[in-house]
Amino acid sequence: MAAEKIEITINDKPVGVARGSYLLAAIQEAGFKVPTLCHHKDLTPNGTCRLCIVEIEVRGRKRLVTSCNYPVREPIRVATDSPRVHQHRKVLAEMYLGRWPNVPVIKDVAKQCGVTDGSRFRSELTDENPKACVLCTHCVRGCAEFIQERILDFAGRGIKRHLTMPFGDVDPTCVGCTSCAYVCPTGAIEIVDDKNHPVDARLIRDHGMKVNAEMANLDPQQCRMRQVGTANIVDVMDQYDLLPVHNYRFGSHPDAKKIYADEMRKNYFTQDESDSCWLGCSMSCCKAAENFTLRTGPYAGQKVLIDGPEYETAAGGANMGCFDLDFIFEWNFYCDTYGVDTISFATCMAFVMECFEAGVITTEHTGGKELRPGAGDAALECLHEMARGEGFGVDVGQGTRWLKKKWAKEYGADPQFLQDIGMEAKGLEYSEYVSKESLAQQAGYTMAVKGPQHDEAWLIFMDMVNNQIPTFEDKAEALYYFPLWRTWFGLLGLCKLPWNDVVPLQNSQYPPPVAAKIPDHVNNYFKFFEGMTGIPLDEEKILAQSARVHNLQRVMSYMLGRGTREHDIPPYRAVGPVTSEEYESRRERYDKQMKELLGVEPDRKPVEEKIALLRRYREAQYAKVIDSAYQRRGWNKNGVPTLARLKELGIDLPEIVAIVEGAQ
Amino acid sequence: MLTINDRDRVDWKPGMTVRDVLDAMGYSYPLITVSVNGQVVDREEYDHFPVPDGAQISVFHLAHGG
Repeated sequence: MAAEKIEITINDKPVGVARGSYLLAAIQEAGFKVPTLCHHKDLTPNGTCRLCIVEIEVRGRKRLVTSCNYPVREPIRVATDSPRVHQHRKVLAEMYLGRWPNVPVIKDVAKQCGVTDGSRFRSELTDENPKACVLCTHCVRGCAEFIQERILDFAGRGIKRHLTMPFGDVDPTCVGCTSCAYVCPTGAIEIVDDKNHPVDARLIRDHGMKVNAEMANLDPQQCRMRQVGTANIVDVMDQYDLLPVHNYRFGSHPDAKKIYADEMRKNYFTQDESDSCWLGCSMSCCKAAENFTLRTGPYAGQKVLIDGPEYETAAGGANMGCFDLDFIFEWNFYCDTYGVDTISFATCMAFVMECFEAGVITTEHTGGKELRPGAGDAALECLHEMARGEGFGVDVGQGTRWLKKKWAKEYGADPQFLQDIGMEAKGLEYSEYVSKESLAQQAGYTMAVKGPQHDEAWLIFMDMVNNQIPTFEDKAEALYYFPLWRTWFGLLGLCKLPWNDVVPLQNSQYPPPVAAKIPDHVNNYFKFFEGMTGIPLDEEKILAQSARVHNLQRVMSYMLGRGTREHDIPPYRAVGPVTSEEYESRRERYDKQMKELLGVEPDRKPVEEKIALLRRYREAQYAKVIDSAYQRRGWNKNGVPTLARLKELGIDLPEIVAIVEGAQ
Repeated sequence: MLTINDRDRVDWKPGMTVRDVLDAMGYSYPLITVSVNGQVVDREEYDHFPVPDGAQISVFHLAHGG
């Protein structure tokens, strides 16, 4: 909700201030200068130094407050430099200068208070070191807020107060993130070693600390990665009709609220620590539940720690119709323990469940298990069977593509129906987003080299909601840029989450096509690379690095027999409604599209005919989008990289050319 | 009538604010940028910023996740 504005006066100037915002920000916004020492733009204010004091008048009573951490809650009159303020600040500045006479930041702030001589307060405490610690608390707050650690703090009281690690020793849990040194205004904390020997450590730090500050200050209002991790988008996907439900038939469900991220946080998550993928990571998106008592399987009755669930795992629960977090956590634990991918299992099991419901398979085939949507215990038993190498679980472990073939061949199932609803391409199960209303996402998924994973291109919002890539050329450009950009993270072994799971405020100043790339964060990665290697980067160079690998991967995919057009065609469930139940569930949307896009009056048509017409239209649209994307990527109409493109990328080596020259 | 993202339509009502438009569209996503006739609206202003009839509104959702 937007904050209410409160009218205050600062040095007799009327100013509108959002309720609850800090007074110092309003003072600076209004153009007045107040000296500060402990204040830091990226850290929570705490009023330690007291130099920012101002005099406020509330309901006729005047008093001094530290403006940096004074929240404005009612109309007040503020004087930033009244005689009383001036006198207090002057004494404070003299005391600071008396104790730390040679520290540049102290001399500067004292000068702002009109003080150049601190001799009145010189004593045995006076520290002549120009890099002395001035107890400003920047480092303590930086440690706590940037990477959520408490490695540094103060010990002792009064004149004995000093900065230390616990028990005065070097804390072994300190990962050396250097946040404390970065925010230290005096140089009291020095970085003595850069173990990875980067060419320009400062460049890396300058940009890394921006990420830290954004995580501390923006993440709580944005994605809440620190609080709930990637599970934050369970709620979003449900609300935008994109959460796969009952084998991607639907995009939302009334019970989905039971698996929203806040339910996980409230009732399960106990840890907010980094996953050790990056020591000192300020995002710490990994979540875990401790002391979870398992109900099934070889560890039934034991209390365990569960790593997760992430979005895809929780959404996999929805896809199986299991809106029960006890089930999702237990299933997550056993998938991790057995080494089973939660996405592949969930998508395959959702297919199994729909087939069971449709009568394609019965309890005769499943070993007696009633595998209807929502049957969590039966799905868990299937997982245990898979791990033990027994029964129906062995079949499920072969994956969706294998099941399609077996059931058509041995059980007489309709192969077209199985192909339509079995959500796999290139033999890999789709990840957990409903792509029906986003042509670009359908292609992004299905053209992904390794199979329908979202890590090459996640274009649903850009396409379906923002309508910012309306033409085939626009979609082709997105299907060129984003897969290459995302491939680059893999090349470097860098995490992509600090790219787009937190967004700088100034990003809204860019026009949408530029904003979608989050240019300030792309620039961070340029600088990380340059700081480490000394080689400057730009967008063109990054795309060139990635394109070589991406095209080589496509050639390998071709060599393995899945790098051509037929393997880039999705099951129709990814594109549109397969069943009348699906059509009817979103009839208003589909009927509107019949009228507006196909020019067909839907009112008197039977639903089967409407499904067939919509399918013909959508499949034709899909064919056009991959034609455009192939062309933009430098691939031929069958999806094979052209020799000209391989040459352009400098990967036209004889052994590579030999693989694809027959396909030109 | 209001046009959202060059495609969707929402009936205009007197006194309508940006918040009303977001509610009408069911847009609950945290990472959005709203502009009304080309003017970017601060998040703090959503409850108060008036939307005139016939306005072209862009509600830009930044992709995250994935």
